[in-house]
Amino acid sequence: MDKAEFMEKAAQHIIDANEQAAVKLAQEYLDEGLDPVEMIEKGLSEGIRKLGDLFDRGEVFLPHLIIASEAMTAAVKVLEQAMPADQVGKKLAKVVIGTVEGDVHDIGKGIVATMLRVYGFEVIDLGRDVPIATFVEKAKEADADVVGSSALMTTTQVGQKALEQALKDAGIRDKLTTMVGGAATTEHWAAKIGATFWAENAGDTVMKLKEIFS
Amino acid sequence: MGMSIAHGVAAGMGGIRTAGDLVARMQMARKMRINDAKAYVAKKLKVSPADLSDVHVMREVREELDLGIITSVPGCAKGIEAKVRIAELLDIEIAGVNRLKEKMKF
Amino acid sequence: MAKYLTRRGDGALIEMTSEEIMSDLEAGTADAADKGKIAPLSKDDLDILLDIFTNPTRFVSVEPGNEVVVTHDIGTLRVMGDQGNSGVGIPLSRVQGIQVHERAFCADTMELGHIDYSFKPVKPVIAMEQQEMENALLVTILPLFYGAMPNLGLYYSPDGPFGNPSDLLPAGKIQESYEAQEGAVEHAIRDMVYVCERLAEVGCDGINFDTTGAAGDTDFKATLHAVEHLKKNTDMCIEVGMAGEFVLGMHGGLEYEGQQLAGLYCHDQVKLVEQAGADIFGPVVNTKPSKNMPWNVARAVTFVKACVEASNIPIHVNMGMGVGGSPIFETPPIDSVSRASKAMVEIAKVDGL
Repeated sequence: MDKAEFMEKAAQHIIDANEQAAVKLAQEYLDEGLDPVEMIEKGLSEGIRKLGDLFDRGEVFLPHLIIASEAMTAAVKVLEQAMPADQVGKKLAKVVIGTVEGDVHDIGKGIVATMLRVYGFEVIDLGRDVPIATFVEKAKEADADVVGSSALMTTTQVGQKALEQALKDAGIRDKLTTMVGGAATTEHWAAKIGATFWAENAGDTVMKLKEIFS
Repeated sequence: MGMSIAHGVAAGMGGIRTAGDLVARMQMARKMRINDAKAYVAKKLKVSPADLSDVHVMREVREELDLGIITSVPGCAKGIEAKVRIAELLDIEIAGVNRLKEKMKF
Repeated sequence: MAKYLTRRGDGALIEMTSEEIMSDLEAGTADAADKGKIAPLSKDDLDILLDIFTNPTRFVSVEPGNEVVVTHDIGTLRVMGDQGNSGVGIPLSRVQGIQVHERAFCADTMELGHIDYSFKPVKPVIAMEQQEMENALLVTILPLFYGAMPNLGLYYSPDGPFGNPSDLLPAGKIQESYEAQEGAVEHAIRDMVYVCERLAEVGCDGINFDTTGAAGDTDFKATLHAVEHLKKNTDMCIEVGMAGEFVLGMHGGLEYEGQQLAGLYCHDQVKLVEQAGADIFGPVVNTKPSKNMPWNVARAVTFVKACVEASNIPIHVNMGMGVGGSPIFETPPIDSVSRASKAMVEIAKVDGL
């Protein structure tokens, strides 16, 4: 099998959420002495990217995405055996994410968290109805690179504005990327409160964070 | 709130100012599509489908048939009284009307 | 080159040339056609849309004779509710709110709803809802629905008895997630049927299942089964309004009458709703705030037109804030709202809004 074929099959095994096949292929790839980093970036990640598109279109569903992410994790674990130590377990960035206090909607936020993990981010998901102080504490404790907040309601999105101020008051806003999302939010809102960016959906979040951290 | 009113003014039939409630009842009672519902109500009221959204025509029709009118005129049918007439005119069942009839035994 | 005022999806005012508008319209309809695997709008339809968007007046409307039925959701919360319900905080009673809609807001139908607008919280206070409905029915002429959301999210922890799929799935507990969702479906059907049957007892004209599918395919399944039961056991009109243009696959494996629910778009959703026995269907197409209104309206009209053509029951497209081509803004600008209305009636040929 040539490299292009390996890449294509790897992507397909992820799309199919076939962990066994993905792991077997990863080992066969290593046995050929090929570059493991390239397989992660161009083979497996391509599968995740296509799966993300299919999810946005409503053609694959959340459990499938989760199983596919587990297949990716298992295949990456095999490839890491042949990677330089400083590349192993390397995450693109550390993200603290949650739904703001007073808001219990978290389906969308959960999908964002899943997709970010799948794309190589370390995600600390604080859950729903999260006090502002908790966002700030966790961002400090984890030495986060990104703080993301979700709000579905116009009454709770004010929490995102309060979060921006709280991060400034804590002296950590400047070293963070902040992102806002949720049905109540828009690009205008993000600009108004001083967030780094607004994300329309999980795919948009991944794309914007990868632009900053890749 | 302004949005709802905007939709009503831009595209709505006009409620009890005209025949909007009556056409709605045919959609609800018999799953009629809009043109069928309008044709049915127009026939019952002896007007054209276009007249159903015309306040000038419908005010008089509603007043004559005592189906309830938009301004509050003492003596004109209101509430359940209007609905009793509407059910009879349109030949449909209105649950609240049937309940009243059953309780009052008429 | 002449420029025309229009808006972004978030309601901000912008200017576009007619070429830019047409390009947006074509892209919007193409997006819907691609995602839904349906026909894009024809050249004639796009030309009508272009006329709508290049009309210089602030407010546009349908031509006389093309008027449709306008139904309302969210009960009277838009009058006496808070910001969270896009309410203006006027302290009217609910019966007064309904009368205001009937007599001042030209509503063709109206809806009674609880402040906590979901079926689960209404169950313990159903007697209150019954008496309110009885009072309202006596003093109003227009058809009166009772509206609430299936909102299956309330059946998961911390609010309900079942594990939360949003926690179970990322932890890899797929089977547990399936079981939690299937359990929630059964509880929700039971509660929705109970609430609706109590309202039928007092003469309610109809039920509006609002934002069906908000919690995914579980939500949709529960609603379809509740509708089926209610149509067999009561005489009420049933309207099913959705939450999005496709059904989110939180479970992925749920079916109704052999049809998988996850991933269904409007024109397929309506077939199942019809099969369950519902009388009216309310498709939803979400506005994308990052796109301009011409794109959003063309996209929404494309989806809804396919739905209208596939349906045998009346279609009352949802056109609240952020759906059906209305901008995502707390007080959607009437120039955009009226254009979306006109487009839905005269191109998609809906039976109501």
